[in-house]
Amino acid sequence: MRARLAILIICIASTATAGRALAHHSFAAEFDENKPLKLTGTVTKLEWTNPHIWFFIDVKNPDGTVTNWGLEMASPNNLLRAGWKRDSMKVGDAVAVEARQARDGSSNANAQTVTLSSTGQRLFAGSPVQPAQ
Amino acid sequence: MLALALVCAAAGTGFAQWFELPLPGTPRTPDGKPNLTAPAPRTADGKPDHSGIWKLDTSRHNPNYNLLAKGVEAPMLPWAEELYKRRVATHGYDRPMTVCLPHGVPDGLTSPYGFKLLQLPAVTVHLYEEFTKYRQIHTDGRALPVDPNPQYYGYSVGRWEGDQLVVETAGFKEGSWLDNDGHPHTEALRTTERFRRVNFGSMEVDVTIDDPKAYSRPWKAETMRLALQPDTELLEHLCENNRDLERLQRIWQDRQPAGPPASGR
Repeated sequence: MRARLAILIICIASTATAGRALAHHSFAAEFDENKPLKLTGTVTKLEWTNPHIWFFIDVKNPDGTVTNWGLEMASPNNLLRAGWKRDSMKVGDAVAVEARQARDGSSNANAQTVTLSSTGQRLFAGSPVQPAQ
Repeated sequence: MLALALVCAAAGTGFAQWFELPLPGTPRTPDGKPNLTAPAPRTADGKPDHSGIWKLDTSRHNPNYNLLAKGVEAPMLPWAEELYKRRVATHGYDRPMTVCLPHGVPDGLTSPYGFKLLQLPAVTVHLYEEFTKYRQIHTDGRALPVDPNPQYYGYSVGRWEGDQLVVETAGFKEGSWLDNDGHPHTEALRTTERFRRVNFGSMEVDVTIDDPKAYSRPWKAETMRLALQPDTELLEHLCENNRDLERLQRIWQDRQPAGPPASGR
């Protein structure tokens, strides 16, 4: 496949601004802009729900154990308008995620981009933090 | 970056959902695009027609909308200032939207999801997408109710002054925020909103806040600018999965001293 051409970038213009609050809650209240994460794993669950989409991925740790991470995205309304569909990412998909960790240090984070390993398709997740591009 | 911007601008076209739905009554340029600088439409009785889907114009405003420009302070009474500062410092420890309560008046106009305005002869209705809420502005000449049961959106009546719809609202319930940073109010709040449709694509709203129990005098917000969202439709937005709440409450509990928020009332 023409991998480079196949990379489709879908944006949410209105949310691609650094420091933007989520309408439902402030980004900074729950997540730490200074705790960036890159997680690679397999989707175990997807909650395509308002006010935020949550998905969960199993991530293999260096010591061989597995951590199930919870990742928040914008709302279905935001992502539908940005070109996502509810099946753009499915349970079982291998994904790479750029995220910011929750302030409580738990295995939860706010996802900024999701890249589908099978196609290289990169989807902005409605993050309030400007994705590196 | 330019290429990225172009790809971003094109995203969302060609989907089955009603996001690119050519709506009748929309003035268009020769290439078929909505003509946002065309004159404001009028109803059969000659009044400006404010109907349409509107959203805060983020090319003119910070999406984290505050009624006042940076550096300008509202004339808050000490208790209100203390509460406001605490809200800012905690990124919204009692933000109503965190528990899926609505944005208040006028904050609902600035929600990033936007709202649909339906102007009928005797009533104007706002349908707020976020949390699927509505507000009614009665234009049938009725007076505001006396000592009504308080409501989040209060009770609104509107009248035309030239091409402006002037909306007076009272009967508010405490707890809603006036803006995204959490300017507070009491039940004594009265708001005046002046809606002007400048042209097909833009609306200006001048808001006056009058709450003698929270502010030392009535004060005016910066003019709020709304942008028409042409050829599109609202979506349902119900708060069915509020996973953030528990963690936010834990974070706020860890960071805050015990006890209820300070209040001078």
